[in-house]
Amino acid sequence: MTSRLSLSHAALLACVAVISCYITWSAIAASTRLYNLIVVVPVAVIIAVLLITLVWQALSGSVPDGALPDRKSTIGDIIMLVAFGVFCFGLTKFGFDIATFIFVWAGVAFGGERRLWLPPVYAAVFTLALVKFFGSLFPFPMPLLVL
Amino acid sequence: MIDTIAFAQASDLLFSSFGPWLYVIPGLLIGLIFGAIPGLQISMAMAVFLPVTFGMDFLQAMLFLTSIFTGGAYGGGVTAILMNIPGSSSSVATAFDGYPMAKKGQHNEALGLGLGASVVGAFAGYLLLMFLIQPLAGAVLKLGPLEMVMVVVWGLTLIATLNDSTVAKGLMAGAFGLMLSQIGMSTTGTMRTKLGNPYLIDGIAVVPAMIGIFAASELLRLRGSSYLVQSDADREISFKRILAGMAMSLRYPKTLFRGSLIGAIIGAIPGVGSSVANLVAYGEVRRTSKNPEAFGKGEPEGVVAAETANSSSEGGSMTALLALGIPGGAATAVLLAAFSFHNIIGGPAFIRDETELVYAIIIGNMGQVVLLGVLGLLTLRLLGLVIKVPLAYLVPSVLALCAWGGYGITGTLAGPLTVAAFAGLGWLMRRHNYPVAAAVIGLLLGRMTEGELVRTMQISGGNPLGYLLERPIAIAFFILLVVISLILPIMRHRKAKKALV
Repeated sequence: MTSRLSLSHAALLACVAVISCYITWSAIAASTRLYNLIVVVPVAVIIAVLLITLVWQALSGSVPDGALPDRKSTIGDIIMLVAFGVFCFGLTKFGFDIATFIFVWAGVAFGGERRLWLPPVYAAVFTLALVKFFGSLFPFPMPLLVL
Repeated sequence: MIDTIAFAQASDLLFSSFGPWLYVIPGLLIGLIFGAIPGLQISMAMAVFLPVTFGMDFLQAMLFLTSIFTGGAYGGGVTAILMNIPGSSSSVATAFDGYPMAKKGQHNEALGLGLGASVVGAFAGYLLLMFLIQPLAGAVLKLGPLEMVMVVVWGLTLIATLNDSTVAKGLMAGAFGLMLSQIGMSTTGTMRTKLGNPYLIDGIAVVPAMIGIFAASELLRLRGSSYLVQSDADREISFKRILAGMAMSLRYPKTLFRGSLIGAIIGAIPGVGSSVANLVAYGEVRRTSKNPEAFGKGEPEGVVAAETANSSSEGGSMTALLALGIPGGAATAVLLAAFSFHNIIGGPAFIRDETELVYAIIIGNMGQVVLLGVLGLLTLRLLGLVIKVPLAYLVPSVLALCAWGGYGITGTLAGPLTVAAFAGLGWLMRRHNYPVAAAVIGLLLGRMTEGELVRTMQISGGNPLGYLLERPIAIAFFILLVVISLILPIMRHRKAKKALV
């Protein structure tokens, strides 16, 4: 049995632990009445027990992490994820049309399309369709820069 | 149980002219489109088209709006099957087996199965409604928060069965979902965990979170491949195979019956509805299956259970609306608004004085279900074309659609940012074999659990056990829950152990 706790698995467990601790602390700080803690506290206890179990399982190697994707694929995923985060943030900052056009163009090119002219043309048509059809069904105003 | 004179009058209202049916096909199409696009809700479609019903008579308006409801319930399942994006919370369980089927090249069969199960489920739901509307309405009035706690806990037990690698990971995903559901103002009005951000006062927006954790994270994983379905031959859209899939759904009569019954009963409980019904039905069918390990890997029975239950819950939700004038969810609330447009008040008096109208709505909905079968078959070929799109184009386009969908739900930047945050969480969870579906169930049912538990504690004066003894329906639910989730699995485990010896 080998001891294995990959960096990304450790990051996930740390993320769960930090968020759960914060939610529990915040709920207790807001009010210690039973009605306020009826779900938070029992779930926090369960999460604490499960965290210990999962870390122990990973470190002891009793439940291995399994085969992880290669480094190149992981870096590609992270780039796409960051680009998606920036795109989501940019929707209201730069306008839905511009943000969507750039994201789809870059995404198609990043996905492996070799014809240089096709991604911007596709991105423009897709953005136009999205703004005119999908966007028109929204009950909220949608910031646009060009269209 | 059926008033034959009113039934004859209802038939006359529906079939003496084409008028009542005029808006059914457009309604079904609107529902299919809104249901199939992540971020566009069925209730949103009904609200958008509500003003159109001003010019219609009451029956036309009801049939138009309920046809959007019917079409939308199935539309959500189409994207769940083809892209692992549940169009709404009522299609979460459809994705569990529908998407693995699509990835195996069985998308035609999965779409057909879903359509067949939806048609049977919705028909059965309305059939039950026709026969049981009065007794069911009486039962609904007897349900209190304790009974709702039982139903919601029943839905939560599914978490324990969803594990991609170990039970601990499944439970951790579910518990973390429950924890995230506690962000924002509590049921009793205590402000907690808002991080100084006004968007978090109402907690995390569940649908954008669901879109992010299910869809966006899966799309990131697919990025390296060329097509959703790898083999060229398997990418074919075959009408014959869709039809075969539809016929295949009839091979699971027990599942169709159980899914319909669970859906109709849970759908009738105000505030619970189809989002819980599909999970409970899926969990029950998986639990009692001879082959539970096949579920989650493309088991047709899983698609049938989920789709039957979410479709039959529509009939159930109409029970509370027609018989009591209580809307069980957002969609029925829009229907209630249509009632008031036409100066009609739902409730016992409506059933007593306008019985023929009630029957006409129910029979009309059964007719709609048949039309959904035909229309679904015609449109599935078009909707299925998504698997022919190269992933280099599909991934960024659907990711963009997901972010737009998040905005469509919240109307603020919080929607797209929730999608992005949950996409990251989902990517990490999938990478280490944590079931993202369990986290969604926790997030979806956490608020409901808290609300019903608090109400139970308040009503019982802090003595829920004493209160339980006074509630026969709650006792029945409790015994059923213990038998199904504890005693039956133990018995089955012992039987399997004995068979090995």
